[in-house]
Amino acid sequence: MIEPFSPEFWKVLAPETVLLLGLIAVFVIPNLGNTTFRIPLTKIQVPWFLGGRRFRLTGAAHLPGLIGCATLLGSLLLLVIGQFDGSFKVETIGTGELVLFRIDEFARLFEMIFLSAVFLASMASLDRVPATIYEETDELEEMYNNRRQADLYILMLTVAVGMCMVALAQDLFVLFVGLELASLATYVLVAFHKETKAGAEAGVKYFITGSVASGIGLYGLSLLYLEFGSLQLNDLAAGWSESGVLAIIALGLVLVGFGFKVSAAPFHFAAPDAYAGANSPVAGVLATASKAMGIIGLIRVLVVVALPNTEGSAVWVYTLAALSVITMTWGNIAALGSKNPKRMLAYSSVAHAGYMMAALTAVGAWRWGHISAPANYANVVIAAVLFHLVVLVAFKLGAFLVLGLLEMEGGASRLSALSGLGRRDPLIAACMFIFMLALAGVPPLAGFMSKFLVVAGIVSTGVGDITTSRGDLLIGDLHWVWWLALALFINSAISVFYYLRIGVVMFLEPPEEGRRKPLPYGVSIRMTIWFCVCATIFLGVSGDFLIDMCHKAAESLNLV
Amino acid sequence: MSGSGIIEYAVLIPLMPILAFPVILFLGKMFNGTPSWVKNVKEGGLIALTVMGAVLILSILLIKENLHHGSADHIFNWLTSSWWDSDTGAIQKKVFGVGIYIDHLTVMLLFVASFLCFLINVFSIGYMNTDPINDNRNHRFYAEFVLFCSGMLGMVLADSFLWLFIFWEIMGLCSYLLIGFYYERPSAAYAAKKAFLTTRVGDVFLVIGLVMLWNLFDGHLDYSYVFNPENIQAVDQGALQIALGMMFVGAVGKSAQFPLHVWLPDAMEGPTPVSALIHAATMVNAGLYLVARMFPFFAEAELGALSDVAIIIAIIGGITAVMAALIAFVQMDLKKVLAYSTMSQLAYIFTGLGSALWLANNGYDDLAKFAMGASLFHLFNHAMAKGMLFMASGSVIHEMHHAHHEVAHHDDHDDDHFDAQSMENMGGLASRMPITATAMLVGSMSIIGIPFIGGFWSKEGIISSAWQVALKEPIFIFPALLILIGAGMTGFYMSRMWFMTFAGKPKTEVAEHVHEQTPWIPIPLVTLTFMTLFAIVLAFMHSGHWLGDFDNGHYTSDLVHGAADEMHHVFANDDPFLLLLTYVAIGLSLVLGPSLAMALYGGRLDEGQKAKPWIQWAINLSSKVRRSSHFDNSAWAESSFAKSLHKRLHFDDWYDAAMMKIVVGFANLSALFDSKIIDGAIKGIESSSQGASRKIRLLTTGSARDYIMMAALGTLAIFLMLWGVA
Repeated sequence: MIEPFSPEFWKVLAPETVLLLGLIAVFVIPNLGNTTFRIPLTKIQVPWFLGGRRFRLTGAAHLPGLIGCATLLGSLLLLVIGQFDGSFKVETIGTGELVLFRIDEFARLFEMIFLSAVFLASMASLDRVPATIYEETDELEEMYNNRRQADLYILMLTVAVGMCMVALAQDLFVLFVGLELASLATYVLVAFHKETKAGAEAGVKYFITGSVASGIGLYGLSLLYLEFGSLQLNDLAAGWSESGVLAIIALGLVLVGFGFKVSAAPFHFAAPDAYAGANSPVAGVLATASKAMGIIGLIRVLVVVALPNTEGSAVWVYTLAALSVITMTWGNIAALGSKNPKRMLAYSSVAHAGYMMAALTAVGAWRWGHISAPANYANVVIAAVLFHLVVLVAFKLGAFLVLGLLEMEGGASRLSALSGLGRRDPLIAACMFIFMLALAGVPPLAGFMSKFLVVAGIVSTGVGDITTSRGDLLIGDLHWVWWLALALFINSAISVFYYLRIGVVMFLEPPEEGRRKPLPYGVSIRMTIWFCVCATIFLGVSGDFLIDMCHKAAESLNLV
Repeated sequence: MSGSGIIEYAVLIPLMPILAFPVILFLGKMFNGTPSWVKNVKEGGLIALTVMGAVLILSILLIKENLHHGSADHIFNWLTSSWWDSDTGAIQKKVFGVGIYIDHLTVMLLFVASFLCFLINVFSIGYMNTDPINDNRNHRFYAEFVLFCSGMLGMVLADSFLWLFIFWEIMGLCSYLLIGFYYERPSAAYAAKKAFLTTRVGDVFLVIGLVMLWNLFDGHLDYSYVFNPENIQAVDQGALQIALGMMFVGAVGKSAQFPLHVWLPDAMEGPTPVSALIHAATMVNAGLYLVARMFPFFAEAELGALSDVAIIIAIIGGITAVMAALIAFVQMDLKKVLAYSTMSQLAYIFTGLGSALWLANNGYDDLAKFAMGASLFHLFNHAMAKGMLFMASGSVIHEMHHAHHEVAHHDDHDDDHFDAQSMENMGGLASRMPITATAMLVGSMSIIGIPFIGGFWSKEGIISSAWQVALKEPIFIFPALLILIGAGMTGFYMSRMWFMTFAGKPKTEVAEHVHEQTPWIPIPLVTLTFMTLFAIVLAFMHSGHWLGDFDNGHYTSDLVHGAADEMHHVFANDDPFLLLLTYVAIGLSLVLGPSLAMALYGGRLDEGQKAKPWIQWAINLSSKVRRSSHFDNSAWAESSFAKSLHKRLHFDDWYDAAMMKIVVGFANLSALFDSKIIDGAIKGIESSSQGASRKIRLLTTGSARDYIMMAALGTLAIFLMLWGVA
């Protein structure tokens, strides 16, 4: 156990420390100017540097972005190096009996998801993507000026710090603090373009519904504390099997809190509004990192806490199964008719949340019911969920970034904004098409692999109970979990329609009036799109190493 | 078998062409018609040539390293699925990945494929780029060409039947595209469709066979698992036999054997390089490769359990050999003669493989390996010779076209009905096209099996192997006899083709104006002529034995002893039966067939025309034979049998009738089902889900109050469900 703020503490938390330092740097450096401070009662002017007229270097509009990106990249590199140089070992941080953080493969994997998503979004924002284009240049100037930029990256880094806290937390209270830190920052990010009606409205709506969900979740936590006298994950897991009805009520409330974060139906309503109002890179972060944060919550509470080593303890399986089916169906059906590509992607991300919840249900069913799977089989299914979360960063975020490129030109809130893209910018259109294929789950892209792993995990759980020899399989013999896989399958089939419609619009329809020129040229946003495409293909073609990583991460939960 | 050295790069062999495919296509679309694209890049031809050159070099390095032993390399895993087996209780993993598998079979096919793909690419640059009809669309040709090459090379190198099938289908697609290259011509479009559909019939059986195999071998199709003797002996032998039989039907379709042979002659509608590449030298060998790949099954299965399949393979081969040769007797189209000859020669190899498989399954290992080696050696000889013959025929046709343009221009009238491919319009070209005539002569002699040249060594091996089996299994006498007769028939139709084209007086004015003038075309002809002649060296290296099996074959680098051995084996065999057989075969193919052809079609060149000395002897000989024993064959040519040969023995008519009666009716029925029921259901689902989508999105009112309301309802529902369970 490492004491907080001991030298060892800074060492093991080096990536997070870098994030904090970067955060301070983005606060301070753009504010450096030529102010002086007069010592009272004297005439001595002492240079104070904070405020006043900015220096040329510190006043540069792109400086905050560069600091932010450098910080995120440095932190990410530290993480990756720490993970692969062989020196990695599990550490716990806390005082006395109280465990605050635990650094294990699971936490590190999620931190990589968060940091890479935020990093890619920040990189894409370097080209300063406004939500809408403005006629008057002054206003544009104001949008882009140094302090506005600094705000954006401060919020981005705050999101990253909060999310890392969620990943590391071993105490539900710490987890909640991290969650709120990240959430509050995302509320502001959604409303970042306060000049536009959509942006401000989306931010407020997201904030209100989010607060309600947080409140419900917090109430659940307080009930848990009442029941167990602690919010430590270890204590909760140890005492779960003897807990009373209070714990179950608390579980339901916590489920609502995290359900909002993963945008599970019927708590998803604010999500499409928020995604459509926010600028695209931010929406991309919401759809990937923010969702992953909710999944951490679900895994911690449902799997780690409420899945002790006794049969019949996972009371939540039916609830989660129902939620998952409603969520994926709702998401897909709503996306089907959506004419706004950003809302479409938002609904598709609701559907993806449903897929992942279905997989978690399979994990629960493994302990509930009569499935006699080997003890470590749950890891395979959880690894599938983790893999899905990682690859989502590649293609879901990538798709949002393509929309971001269109926003630089003048908005991407209508499907027709994409029309003729195949002729205007074939490479970007090809990228978008690859993202759509990946979302639809077409081999050999990463989306296929993740969907395959999830479905295979569920199916294997569903049929694994049958001990009869091959050939005598009857539908009635299947565990009900199998039907989740079928629902997932049907939903995937529905989703192909709206994903491929994007391709049809891009390649077969003529461009809109006034949008016939090539797209604006943003180096960093294009680079990030390219990176996402490469990752989508590469992880689909040879994602074995990543599956291994996810498997290790799942094992580090010590479920057995 | 483990991976090391160059094999790690082997994956590049199919990968480079497959990557070149989009490059050529897109660059072609972008730069089509610009002078530098046409002149400097040859409309993509040079890109393709660079890639194929790299492939050839890499292949040769790979072959050099693996000349004496097989090796395998698993390159990477694409998909690892884990599930738990309720019988054992353990978590199992299944890997689907990519790997390379190299043995004697791979080496042979890899060399043939990469070498010929390269040479035919050279030929195409000469042939396609100077043909005005191909204006501005050669990038499509080269793109499809490289895609085809990657299909062939990938199939050969694959380490599982699944990948084999995938590449097999890539080839099928490219074959369709390339045959239909002149898609504006109805006959070409029809031929492409016919080839695609006919091979599809075989492919359906192949899929069935593979699924059966997959089922038998517990979900494995990779060679390392299915060729494991323990695994082979563990499966139900009867079911294995049926699966292999099904797979053989796939090979029948791909290699144009009876009764799925009808597509190959029509496929000659494609440009000549395509005929050379796909329909002579590489793709049609895919079926042979598939059958040869089955060898370990036969060698390791229970004694005699799989004999029936082997017999069927040999009989199909025997029937096709004679049937195709018969039809070739009456063809006038230069390329069609070659097409039927291809069919017939492939049938020889099938018979040889059938013998090898029968011998392997009945415990005659050494004989089996010899038969296998002979078959592979014949595959090599045939591919070299037939690739060359097709390119030479392309050269003839190309120059005929040019000459026709010239003549038509002079006479100021354009005769559209002139057929540049018909041998009735040729004649006497030996002096006008010396390189082509030489190449064609050597190629024809190799196919006929004139002693000491190319195909002789291997054909002798196949015939003697078939008779070896016939001595042990009476039913084998049938195919063995058929291929023996076929040897004489080959002698006739190949000689007929050569003499009609090159000997005698020019039959039309066009033929008088032919010259060899197109650049690039002679390069592959000369190379392949030497390659065909070089086969004697391979024969003296005991390739008949060594190609059948690396591990136990007697590869020799001592050419003198090798030659003595081989001569003794062929011409002075200790077994009196085989000795007799050899001389009968030589008599049929060397004396009877060619002399009949000479008597009918031989003749001197025009006055003043002189062919090269190494060709002149054939012309002189033919005119002598013709003078001494010319006879009138018009009675035979008018006979009803000859007419039915002209109609290709009515197979096409029967198939068409069957199509019209059964298939079209069924197709109409399924079209009805498709448009009414399936489409109706899909449209219904689509419109109803769009409706549902509209309704469900109405719930998203845009007011945060409603959102919270819904969340509250959801919370309540969660409570109820948890309460119900707990």
